[in-house]
Amino acid sequence: MLRDSFDKSRALMTRRSLFGQSAVGIGSAALASLLTSDSKAATTLQGLPHHSPKAKNVIYLLQNGGPSHVDIFDYKPELRRLAGQQIPDSVVQQARFSTMTAGQTNRPCLPEITKFSRHGQSGATVSDFMPYTAKISDDLCFIKSMHTTQVNHAPAITFFLTGAEIPGRPSMGSWLTYGLGTDTANLPGFVVMTSRDKEASCGQIFYDFYWSSGFLPSMYQGVKFRGGGDPVLYLSNPAGVSREARRAMLDDLAALNQSHYEEVGDPEIQTRISQYEMSYKMQMSVPELTDLSNEPENVLAEYGPEVRRPGSFAYNCLMARRLVERGVRFVQLLHAGWDQHRNLNTQLKVQCTDTDAPSAALVNDLKRRGLLDETVVIWGGEFGRTPFLQGKIEETKSWGRDHHPYAFTVWMAGGGVKPGTSYGASDDFGFRAVVDPVGVHDFQATILHLLGIDHERLTFRFQGRDFRLTDVHGSVVKGLLA
Amino acid sequence: MHLKFSQLSIASVAVCLVLSGQTFVIATEKEPVSFSRDILPIFSDKCFTCHGPDNAKRKGDLRLDDRESAMKSGDIVPGKSDESELVARITSHDADEVMPPPRHNKKLSEAEIGLIRQWIDQGASWGRHWAWEKPSRPAIPMAPAEFAARNPIDNFVAQKLVANNLKPQPPATKQQLARRLALDLTGLPPEKTVLTEFLNDQSPEAWENLVEKMLASPRFGERMAWDWLDAARYADTNGYQGDGERTMWPWRDWVITAFNNDMPFDQFTVNQIAGDLLEKPSREQVLATGFNRNHMINGEGGRIAEENRVEYVFDQTETVSTIWLGLTMTCARCHDHKFDPISKKDYFQLFAFFNQTPVNGGGGNGQTAPVLDMTTPAQLEAQKKASAAYDALQKKLIEKEKQLREAGMTTTADGMYATKLPVIIESTLRKGIDGRPAENFKALEEYYGKTEPEYIRQLSELRPLRQKRDEAAAKLTRVMVMADMPKPRETFMLTRGTYDKRESAVQPAILSAFVPSGSAVSQKSDKLQNRLDLARWLVNPENPLTARVIVNRLWQMLFGMGLVKTAEDFGLQGQAPSHPELLDYLAVEFQSPLLDSRARPWSMKHLVRLIVNSATYRQNASAPAELWAIDPENRLLARGPRHRLPSWMIRDQALAISGLLTPAIGGPSVNSYQPPGIWEEATFGFKTYRQDHGPALYRRSLYIFWRRIIGPTVFFDNANRQTCSVKNVITNTPLHALTTLNDVVYVESARAFAQNALKQPCETDEARLNWLVQQALMRPPTGPEARLLASALAKQREYFSQNQARAEELLKVGESPRDTLIPAVEHAAWAQVCLLVLNLDETLSKP
Repeated sequence: MLRDSFDKSRALMTRRSLFGQSAVGIGSAALASLLTSDSKAATTLQGLPHHSPKAKNVIYLLQNGGPSHVDIFDYKPELRRLAGQQIPDSVVQQARFSTMTAGQTNRPCLPEITKFSRHGQSGATVSDFMPYTAKISDDLCFIKSMHTTQVNHAPAITFFLTGAEIPGRPSMGSWLTYGLGTDTANLPGFVVMTSRDKEASCGQIFYDFYWSSGFLPSMYQGVKFRGGGDPVLYLSNPAGVSREARRAMLDDLAALNQSHYEEVGDPEIQTRISQYEMSYKMQMSVPELTDLSNEPENVLAEYGPEVRRPGSFAYNCLMARRLVERGVRFVQLLHAGWDQHRNLNTQLKVQCTDTDAPSAALVNDLKRRGLLDETVVIWGGEFGRTPFLQGKIEETKSWGRDHHPYAFTVWMAGGGVKPGTSYGASDDFGFRAVVDPVGVHDFQATILHLLGIDHERLTFRFQGRDFRLTDVHGSVVKGLLA
Repeated sequence: MHLKFSQLSIASVAVCLVLSGQTFVIATEKEPVSFSRDILPIFSDKCFTCHGPDNAKRKGDLRLDDRESAMKSGDIVPGKSDESELVARITSHDADEVMPPPRHNKKLSEAEIGLIRQWIDQGASWGRHWAWEKPSRPAIPMAPAEFAARNPIDNFVAQKLVANNLKPQPPATKQQLARRLALDLTGLPPEKTVLTEFLNDQSPEAWENLVEKMLASPRFGERMAWDWLDAARYADTNGYQGDGERTMWPWRDWVITAFNNDMPFDQFTVNQIAGDLLEKPSREQVLATGFNRNHMINGEGGRIAEENRVEYVFDQTETVSTIWLGLTMTCARCHDHKFDPISKKDYFQLFAFFNQTPVNGGGGNGQTAPVLDMTTPAQLEAQKKASAAYDALQKKLIEKEKQLREAGMTTTADGMYATKLPVIIESTLRKGIDGRPAENFKALEEYYGKTEPEYIRQLSELRPLRQKRDEAAAKLTRVMVMADMPKPRETFMLTRGTYDKRESAVQPAILSAFVPSGSAVSQKSDKLQNRLDLARWLVNPENPLTARVIVNRLWQMLFGMGLVKTAEDFGLQGQAPSHPELLDYLAVEFQSPLLDSRARPWSMKHLVRLIVNSATYRQNASAPAELWAIDPENRLLARGPRHRLPSWMIRDQALAISGLLTPAIGGPSVNSYQPPGIWEEATFGFKTYRQDHGPALYRRSLYIFWRRIIGPTVFFDNANRQTCSVKNVITNTPLHALTTLNDVVYVESARAFAQNALKQPCETDEARLNWLVQQALMRPPTGPEARLLASALAKQREYFSQNQARAEELLKVGESPRDTLIPAVEHAAWAQVCLLVLNLDETLSKP
């Protein structure tokens, strides 16, 4: 009980000890200078890290829709051998599918849509739709035996990000910033950015509960940076109000609030003064963040032609690097597309192209700057796609694959992750994870482990229960660790 | 640090807490250990996972939630802790022996072990969790005369203050009190005439007179409705993919009226849960049942209808449990509750009450029957016409687009299908017209602009037609309500809550642990129970929870935190009440009022009146630093309530202070200001935000259209209206500061506020600043404040006089006209000062 109480009061104490009590009785000018000192926005939870961390930050490139593992990373010659023939019942067993194929009794094997080849020292199999990813394969660890329990998009994403398929639990980024705090006083510790494929081919929506802090204090909620307008809502001053005019006003506001504090005594007033000051600092740090004028042309070029378009996946990848560079703990990217039920022929290549160069550029860029060692980069969807065809084999125009939770591929790179590795395996059809299967809670436990956290010990008391990201499951996948 | 009174006010020694360098003595009197207060919370927290109500997970056949079972085990020997196996196990140093097992991370503290020993030595008396016992009217304790108690609330509070060597704060000033009361009861600052009357009223009843005015104001219902809407997850769309619109606003207006008419809470309950099942229900009573249909609706392709339907019933079951019973039931979907006496069977018996509507879970229609149709024939006619016009043109275009797509097809050398069209064109054509987002229309226009002029012309006609069709459809008001099918649907327990994994069948029944044997409810077995039986049980005097839970939430609304801090959980793992007798007193007084002969049972207004008339509520919120340090959350109530206003109220207050507020009550929801692109980005262009203009922009926050997947951005720290939420959340972040400094509604309010200030017949800046502060805070500025404000004004004047154009720019923010006779520089400078005043901590907070 005592520990629990300390945990809960920590946020308050932190804010107060940071901005509040130390600032009592000093004028607003002095306060402003105090705040410009390089103070940390939120400190680490008592007792954390549980062990020596391998990484400080996470960049999670979530590929919403379900990238087709058997077309991109998980090469299955058996599908070509049996192309057009029914996938054996012994493989499918009692598997449940989405309503889109649940009624389809004909399940012909559909071979890979494009060529695979081996790459790098590690000999990773990557399809030729992903040439840039192929080039960095010696930096990557492919988990070929990922599996999940969810067969629809929203519950599957919610499961990956919060450990439960029903909305309401805290997102991974919230848990990490709650546990570890952040290294920036000028930016939120948990930033979210979304994008979708240029062709608007899928109707997936990004629900705000994907990055919700759930029952954790709402200061740990992901802050969504927008693709258009102000990256942070209401960041810009009203028309006609310059930064200097705002500064003057905030000084007077702080002085008035300070005098009110002296009368009332409520420490929350001190926090308010510091938060208004922080808002002013964000007005500077966010535009600085998004100002690309100092990025070398060759770096920009590496991220691909879309890099200058706010809201594109490429732009968001570059921002992700700039964010971790500035001390942001967790950057969650969500990219929609990948949902090729009826358009594998035309769409898959486009989605690969949208994400291939930017993802690889991000890994290279982090590496060059020495940030890859302290950053975990994750690339993967909420499930894979069926090794068999959705639709009819004769209707070549609308070939597709349905959602597939039983085996798919996710890659990781960076701090503490074993590079140039392929971990686990699916069966000959890419249908089921059979060698060293990795469940979603195992995956989450491993990420927390890399950040120095024992997933069983980072808990929060809510509605009478001690909750954790991994619910009551999960174990660290040792084979992924460097 | 959170003071857990149940565990701190115990024991025969003084319990000291060291906090922020302060030593704080909680209690010193010698008291026997109480099982329900002191021991049960320990057992629940540390032991129930394996030795609690969950039959499936019980270990070693020991059950500590049930006296008979616990004693039978022989692990507890009353009077002899040294001979009790339980004590041996919890004090063991052997890792294989010690309880709880180390892997559970639930080690007992020395203090907890000491308590368990004392309890056994004192005879190991048993008892139930406090909240499961029906509240009875407690004796009212004495309070020291100097505490100036005004009603029994103060006596209960005094008891705790005395025990802690504390005294209450004196009353706040009349100005502060008027502002506090008006904000709490109407969500708006006091009207000028009301305030003046109160300040001039020297009679002993001045306060009571003011309270009556506030309770009689139609704004009271609006204010009370907000929290009810948060709990009832009210929104104007379905949520999930598609996020289609619905028209539930007449239900929202029903809630406002019910609060304004002081509909007794028992009726309020019965109408909303089972109005349709009453004998000859009125239209209003059926409308009230819209409550249960406020849940999200999932129209996502690939979803199984029955799976959706079961989700909806889960939501209804859990929402009712949380709102009325303060119970968290979700875990009992899959297994017996680990801490509270709710079995999985209990859960599905409760579920069965709601499982009887004809809703089948299919489709994403926000007007899924049963509905209360409130459309007029003219609206219907207009809708048919608009729909037909759209359909006719769409039909032509579908044919044309099919041709265009076929024309773009080709086959590759290896026999695979390919298209010559750009991918976006191919994708757009393939997906069809109906849900096509704006950017895809644009792509078609660019691609076919030159080659297919006729097609493009028709395409451009289609979009306005679609808009007209949608607008006409949105005017058809059909409120989803409850109705049971003639033939009951069978209800099954579900394995892990999975819709198609059925176990044994159950029948509707209320929670067994809360039905005293022999009570009227438990005897009724001749026919199947229905929602009406459930509703009546919720407000049955034998129900130990409802009145306490409701009283607690009202306390939370007025004090920022409930007497039970965990407003959503009254179970064993929730926090014990800070003032248990006070909670019970209020719960009983709510149901059977004695204090005021005019009061009816279950009157919300009586309850509000009782609380705001107390000296406890009327205390000054300012306090010495020691008190803030000792009791940061004000759990002891040694000072008045002070906390930041809810964001919706901050907005309403700004509109009221500036004079922009549109006073209309009720009606369809409106779209006020919102930064561009919010809906479009969240829905990938499928939903276009069409901002309203004129008076609609300045309606109260209650009437702002709530898109469920992306709520109005002007609000912060609010319930998301996706599922039931009864918690009061108050955080303090830079994002909130950016909102109240930069959002149009605040900047425009500041501009209008400044315009009013400049029209006052004031001779000096000082007088005008004085007026300004008076408007916002109901008090004049202090000397230092006046000087700071004058200096602020001087700086802003200086700034705008050097930048006249910027003054003009600032004055263009917002759509209300400005008085151009006022010089721009002067107006802009004052607007900045007004924005500052609207952002003062005191303005943002309850005084």
